[in-house]
Amino acid sequence: MKPSFAKSNRSMIALWIILIITFIFTGIVDSYFFSIASIGITLQLAAPLGLLAAAQTIVMLTGGIDLSLAMIATGAAYIVSVKSNAGLTTALLFALVFCVLVGAINGISIGLFGVNPLIMTLSMGAILIGVFTVGVSTFLRGSSRMPEVLVTLSSGLIFDPITWPLLVWVIVGGFVHFSLTRTGFGRVIYAIGDNAQAARLAGVKVWQVQVAAYVSCAILGGFAGIMLGGQSGAVAISLANSYLLPSVAAVVIGGTSIMGGLGSYSGSVMGALILSVLSYLLAILNSSEAFKQLVYGGIVLALAWVYSSISERK
Amino acid sequence: MRIPLREQTWNISILGLVVGLTLWRGNQLPVFGSYEIKTILLGIIPIALLAMGQSLIIIGGGINLAIGAEAILINCITARFSEGTSFSTSLKWALIGILIAALIGAATGWVISKSGIADIVVTLATSFVLIGLALFVQPGPGGGVNLEFAQAFSGKGDSFVAPLLVLFLPILFIWLPLQRSRIGISLYAIGSSKDAAFLSGVNVARARILLYTFGGVFAGICGVSLTAITQAASPFAVISNTATLNSVAAAVLGGVSLAGGVGGLFGPALASLVLYYIPTIMLGYGIDPAYSQIIQGALTILVVLVGGLLRSRGK
Repeated sequence: MKPSFAKSNRSMIALWIILIITFIFTGIVDSYFFSIASIGITLQLAAPLGLLAAAQTIVMLTGGIDLSLAMIATGAAYIVSVKSNAGLTTALLFALVFCVLVGAINGISIGLFGVNPLIMTLSMGAILIGVFTVGVSTFLRGSSRMPEVLVTLSSGLIFDPITWPLLVWVIVGGFVHFSLTRTGFGRVIYAIGDNAQAARLAGVKVWQVQVAAYVSCAILGGFAGIMLGGQSGAVAISLANSYLLPSVAAVVIGGTSIMGGLGSYSGSVMGALILSVLSYLLAILNSSEAFKQLVYGGIVLALAWVYSSISERK
Repeated sequence: MRIPLREQTWNISILGLVVGLTLWRGNQLPVFGSYEIKTILLGIIPIALLAMGQSLIIIGGGINLAIGAEAILINCITARFSEGTSFSTSLKWALIGILIAALIGAATGWVISKSGIADIVVTLATSFVLIGLALFVQPGPGGGVNLEFAQAFSGKGDSFVAPLLVLFLPILFIWLPLQRSRIGISLYAIGSSKDAAFLSGVNVARARILLYTFGGVFAGICGVSLTAITQAASPFAVISNTATLNSVAAAVLGGVSLAGGVGGLFGPALASLVLYYIPTIMLGYGIDPAYSQIIQGALTILVVLVGGLLRSRGK
């Protein structure tokens, strides 16, 4: 069930306050942060995380989780870059087939055979790492450079501070938000996450919804991966690895329950924005890797705690 | 506590698999003597100890995605402060390390029961914090330990008695007494159903803190064993992530149900042998180790799938 208006409203206000505090704090530490250009860059870097968070939101609303998401994203980007000399459409088609295939395997195993989502996707991640490590030197040998069009779409500027990736994020994210809130698909996603048994008795084919959820998740992951590849110019096997925890964290901070059935994509967007400002802050503090990891983990935990205590209070 | 028949069948089939793989591996090696047994034991000790800690936590209805990071942190602490010291100092730091791991476990359990945030989220975040701490203690590979202390763990010469003890002493002195105690039963109880356990008078919050504390002790022993075996520290997130993944895989292979409340620690200890053999045997054939990751992932999925089907048929 979606939270009542007053409750979800209060949670959104809390998220806005957290975002504004991190935003202002970052601006105080680094005055350049308030410039139009740097806001544009922050939003541009937030876009792939926002797409990954959309993917994670969909499966987490069904009560699942996708820990293979980072490897799906990397895989899609890899396929696009290697197949790009056969034409952009072909390359994108290959990537789409890959995403649908992996998403369907995840969804069928979880929905139809009852494999625990955590184990399924963790193992799928390991399998994909293996497949691509082998593939790099065999069936996926070739250029790791992204096609120019995709580089522009991933990092090109339209006018300050609006970039192409931001526009892509707004369109795709808007579509996800619309699907979750205004369509039958969204309704059954919330329904099976809230109570799969009840949804089944009400005539919902639960496994089909789960397959659809994991496939959509994988496709969104593919989008994010291609965007990340475009932003870095070339694709490496570790491309999206560091985005796995943030994708889960953004969703959790945004108030979506890991048990399913509760939450919204707008919350995840706020989570993604907060985390992006935070990583900007940690980058400009020029701190050691140790400090960054420590602070990042600590803040994710603290935000999740603050959020859950705010939204639990009746 | 009697072990149910289905669990025994599971353990026996895993045992069969282990025996088969051992013969296969033995066939690859020119000689299979006590030195080879020692090598195998040293290879599985870290995986097995971590798998036992993870299994304990999963049995109690939780999951710890930071368990690999806990072990790496203890590895870094003990290796940094034991370098070039006497036997007793190394031993002292090993004990301090295990104590720290227990405290980290207790803190994790406390945060989870106090905040009401899901185990996955809390432990995913703590894994970052712990790797950060490990990098503070030991910014790069390095460190060391007293040689006699290392030998006390890994055995002198060809003798495999010491590693065998390292593997079985935690089971004998931690798991068996725990399983038979009130605390152990309360861990199984909160794993099966927190509500039912609460209504039967179990202090759920305390039981969960203890759960993660014991998991931390195993992770701590794992960290010390890493220091003793490798005589160095390696503060890398990749290693801790792989270790965590392996610990979950071994727990699942060893018959621990992710739903909680089912399983023991012998199964996962045996299953860690399977996880050790797959890449080792493949390397023996000169196959790219990346394939072993594919096989291991597929095997884990298959085991969970078959286990789930058997369980639903048994109902």
